Parts: sequence; structure tokens; C-alpha cells
Amino acid sequence: MISLQSMVGAKRAFVLLLAVLAAALLILPESNDGPLKTMGGALVTMAGHPLKALDSVTQGIDSIWSRYIALLHVHDENLNLRRETAMLQEEASRLRERAAASDRLRELLNLKEELPYTTIAARVIARDPTNWYRSIVINKGHDDGIGVEMGVMTPSGAVGRVVKVQRQLAIVLLIIDRNNAITGLVQRTRDEGIVEGTEKGWAWIKYLPLLSNVKVGDIVVTSGMAGGFPRGLPIGRITRIERREAELFLSAEIQPDTDFGRLEEVLVITTPRESANLPLLPVPGRTQLPAKRTE
Amino acid sequence: MKYLLYVALVVSLVPFQAVLFNRLTIYGVHADLVLIAVCLVGLQAGELDAILIGIALGFMQDLFSGNVHWENLWLKPLLGLLTGLASRNVINLTLTFSLALLLALSIFSGWVTFLLKSWQGPGVDFFAAAQGIILPQACYDAILGVVLLKLIQLITPPRHQFPAASYE
Repeated sequence: MISLQSMVGAKRAFVLLLAVLAAALLILPESNDGPLKTMGGALVTMAGHPLKALDSVTQGIDSIWSRYIALLHVHDENLNLRRETAMLQEEASRLRERAAASDRLRELLNLKEELPYTTIAARVIARDPTNWYRSIVINKGHDDGIGVEMGVMTPSGAVGRVVKVQRQLAIVLLIIDRNNAITGLVQRTRDEGIVEGTEKGWAWIKYLPLLSNVKVGDIVVTSGMAGGFPRGLPIGRITRIERREAELFLSAEIQPDTDFGRLEEVLVITTPRESANLPLLPVPGRTQLPAKRTE
Repeated sequence: MKYLLYVALVVSLVPFQAVLFNRLTIYGVHADLVLIAVCLVGLQAGELDAILIGIALGFMQDLFSGNVHWENLWLKPLLGLLTGLASRNVINLTLTFSLALLLALSIFSGWVTFLLKSWQGPGVDFFAAAQGIILPQACYDAILGVVLLKLIQLITPPRHQFPAASYE
């Protein structure tokens, strides 16, 4: 049986403080949490060092894993050629890693040069510490010109939007998070809707006109109306259309073009959306999905 | 020494979770190290320490998370308070009790987070959340928490036991 009787003095004050804190945070409007963010800045600066150190350690471990541990079976297969094979494999692995990184960066750089708006390249250094949100931490922050509500993309398409910024870090809420909402446009029919995340890690476009002739396989792009994205950035392809009785709008499930589990580098769009005018980008090739329509 | 350990915990635990520990997922779910740490502090050091650690770690978790409602800032110290009170009101802190407590508190935490998400954002399917996040994470938290508690008990002196006659 839990008893509060033995709690005296400072302890009661702490419990009271906790209750006030909880109540204040529940009714605090989001726009008034500036002091919390200011206080958090110092903490994040302190924690940023271990974060970056741990990221370096992770890269080291990945490197060791891909260069040595993953190659142990080669050692078992051929003892006589062990040393030579290990050396060659190690070198090949290193070169492959470099080539892959180079390809990724070249692709990112090419895209960056081609885009009609300014972007900042950033690396993904961590992911959300809870199971409830789908977000990433990038290694660029306020000092680099990153601001809240800026859109984030990769060559595959839209990734998310910046929701928190510290001096050297920023938190990006992915478009597959349930709490994220951006305006989307079905490329073929030009119907606009709101794109939200789903629990399955896909996205969902809502409020499409009831008479829209949207089809499975249609490409959804950003509409440029809100959310820090220019018009025409690919989001994904429609995989299922839902028409419920007594509802005035259509909804459709979207399979995003971006592989959110493997994000390594991203571009943060810094140009205000009013000045950006993007021609519709081609969506990376993908086989047409089988027609499936639930009504 | 204790406070140095707390500072180290506050500064490094959330980065450790966000960078390294998130890779150790079971069916896409990872344990909440902050919840485990706060509960272990509550079990070992009492509710006051757990509240303070809960505020600091919850704040850090909110800073690095995509949420915008600062829910961990008050939820984690609340869990610390509950753990401390529950721990102080049992005479023998057994592993079974600790396992059940961690399981219950993790489910409670998940349920509160679910309610907040439903209240403040678009609706979330309760059964999907319970099956996909709340229950698997509670099991993961409870098992990992008890393993860590056992390790802590091996390297630190046992908690002061209240004789039955002097209880309350």
C-alpha cells in the first residue's frame, strides 16, 4: 500500500512542484515554450558532445563490422588464402564504402546544384529516443542557418520538416510520423490533400475531392502551399484508395519513395517557399503497382 | 560521487539511446532507457532522487525527440515518484516485485503517452498502439530493467531494509 504520510518537508514540496509542472505543461501553448527551449539549449550543447562522440564510435563499429567481423566466414572457408583474402576484402570493402559514400554525396551535390532554391546538406546522427515519434537528429542547427518549419529532402523526395533547432543540431519530424501534416498534390489529377503519417510507417493523403479520378499508382508530390516545401517534390505513390460511406472526401494510402530506415544524408531547404518555383521532379523509377481499390 | 554519476547519466544517456541503443530493436521496438534509469534510481535511492533525475532525463528526452508537448518532462519524474513510493513501502525488494513494477509503470507511461497523442493530435488506434508499442516496450523495459537492477545490486551495497516492527 502506497502511503504519502511519511513524505515530509522537501519531499512534499517536490511532489507539489511536480504536479504544478505537469499542469503547466499540459496547458502551455506551444508558442509559449520559448524559455524551455532556451534552457534546453545549454543541455543540448552539453549532450551534443557525447552524441557526436557516440556517432563517431558507431561509425567506427560499423566500419569494423563491415571490414572485419562480416568477413570472418571467408577465413573459415579458406585458411591458406586467409591473409590475402582478408586484405583484399578489407580494401574492397573500404573502397566500396567510399564509392557508395561518394555516389551518395555526388547525387546529393548534383541535386543541390540543380535545385532552384538553396539547401544545406546535413548528416543524420541519431534517431528519436522514444518509440512514439518518427524523427531524426541532423548535425546542422541554428548556427548553420537551420530554422523551424524548414523542409527536409533527399534525392528521392520529401523527408520531413524541422520541428526543433539547437545551435548545432536540429530535430526533423519525418513525413511518416502521425503528427506530421504537409499539403500534397496528386501529380496527374492535380487534386490537393493533406499528407499525414500512419502507424505502419507509410503516409496517408486525406481530403481528396470525392469525385477525383485518382488511381492506384498515381504519384503524390508536395503542393508548396505549406510545410516548408516547394511545389513538386515527390512524396510517394498511391497504393490504396479508401472511400467511406457518408464521407465527403477520399483518402488514399501512399508508399513513400524515401527509405526512412536508411537515411544518412539529407538536404534542408532554406529558401522561403514563396521564392521557390520547382519544376516537377521525376520520381525515381519503380514498377507500377497492381491496381487495388477498396471502396 | 553519486551526483557525478547522475550528471554523467543526464548528459550521456539520451545520446546513447538515440545513437546506439535504438539499433537494438525487437520487432521494431526499443527499450526506453530513460524510463528504466528513472525507475532504478527510484528503487535504489528513493523518490526524491528519482524525481530530480526524472525531470532532467525527461527534459533531455523531449529535447532530442520529435514531440512538441514536453510530455516526458513531467511523466518521467512522476514515474520516479511512483517507483520511489512503491519501493519504500515494500519491505523486501524482490526481483519479481521489480519486474512487475517496471512492467506496470512502462504500460502506464505508454498509456499516458497514447492518451496525450490522441488528445493533442490526430487519433491513434489504441489496439495498434498497445500491440505495436506499449506492450512490447513494457516487456523489453521490464526485463532489461531487472537485469540492470541485478547488476547494480551485485556491485553496490543492498538497500537499507526496514525492520518490520519499525515500518511506518
